[in-house]
Amino acid sequence: MNEADIDADATDRMLLQRMAAGDRTALSVLYRGYHGRLCRFLSRLTRRPDIIEEVINDCFWIAWQKADNFHGDSRVSTWIMGIAYRCGLKALRQHGDEPVEDDAIPDDRTPAHDPGEDRELRDWLGKGMDRLSADQRVVVELVYGVGHSLDDVAVIMQCPVGTVKARLFHARVKLRNVLPALAGESRATKESVS
Amino acid sequence: MTFPTGSGRDCARAWEAMPWVLQQSAPQEQSDWLMEHLAGCESCRAEYEQQSRLRRAVSLPSDMAIDANVGLKRLLARLDAPEPQVAPLRARSSGWLTRALVAAVLVQALGIGALGMKLWSDGDGAMYHTLSQETASPAPPGAIHVVPDATMKLADWNALLRTLQLQVVGGPNDVGAYTVIPLHSASTSQATLQQLRATRGIRLAEPVTDAP
Repeated sequence: MNEADIDADATDRMLLQRMAAGDRTALSVLYRGYHGRLCRFLSRLTRRPDIIEEVINDCFWIAWQKADNFHGDSRVSTWIMGIAYRCGLKALRQHGDEPVEDDAIPDDRTPAHDPGEDRELRDWLGKGMDRLSADQRVVVELVYGVGHSLDDVAVIMQCPVGTVKARLFHARVKLRNVLPALAGESRATKESVS
Repeated sequence: MTFPTGSGRDCARAWEAMPWVLQQSAPQEQSDWLMEHLAGCESCRAEYEQQSRLRRAVSLPSDMAIDANVGLKRLLARLDAPEPQVAPLRARSSGWLTRALVAAVLVQALGIGALGMKLWSDGDGAMYHTLSQETASPAPPGAIHVVPDATMKLADWNALLRTLQLQVVGGPNDVGAYTVIPLHSASTSQATLQQLRATRGIRLAEPVTDAP
């Protein structure tokens, strides 16, 4: 954890303490601070915006209720991501985990400022992520996107570190086999995974 | 696990180190070692390039257009009325099942209730009786059980009843006993009993008592 992470966690803890005292402004600050990363994290589980919004609100509703139960065993971000992950799985069980068709997703979902390179990168990633299981996508997001350690991811997903390690390994192998071809590179690897 | 990069031990080590070096959480010496290794290993260098690209791609903002302000407004409204907001989430998927179970329980309760009522009402009127069992209605005051002889003529029986001013109100029962009561008085005189017992053709005459 670098200094920026330590500072961010200290701020989050202070906000949680104020939330435990009933401060809704602190809740609003924390909500806005996490909304973007939770949207992206949950988009690895489902492509339905309505479910994502519902899960984010379920997550912060629980965080509001249990703010005084946070004892600091982990980073606040790990705690919140864990709640969001469990709420996400629960929502998928209730709603079904079938993603909506791309046609059903509004065209304006892609940010207007998305430059061509980002769009190409996003498409490249999307085609690779399609080959992964939901758990593998979540691990990739948490490690590469959010920057969590293996231990953090194990806490979030409530599984052994070895399981996280295996999911990350298999996800990387799959992406390596798929992404170069999609990126126009000639290398095609056929490594076996044992 | 078989590592997809070069078969060397250093390549396996490099493969494992890449994510943590990329997210800048690896120790400095590990980062330095990886850079050195990449300088001399084309396969791992290509892998690291791809990992860097993967990290850039994953780190792009979400492509889902979800308004944080709208969500926050809903959350704050939910905090004011938390309970009613939680219930529909579960009700959407399991509501029909809950309703079906409640309906089944109600139907069962009604059935059990109806059977219970039927059993309770049947309990008052048993389909059998014992010889010692009291009749349903209490014996009238002054009633006498009289057993005439089988050879007694009907005319003699009627004459006896008229003489003693008695009236048949029941019988004959299983043992041939008639229940008679006085026509005008509420109690049976001892004299009436003795007259009955003294009459030829009367085998038994006993006052009816409620207690055995």
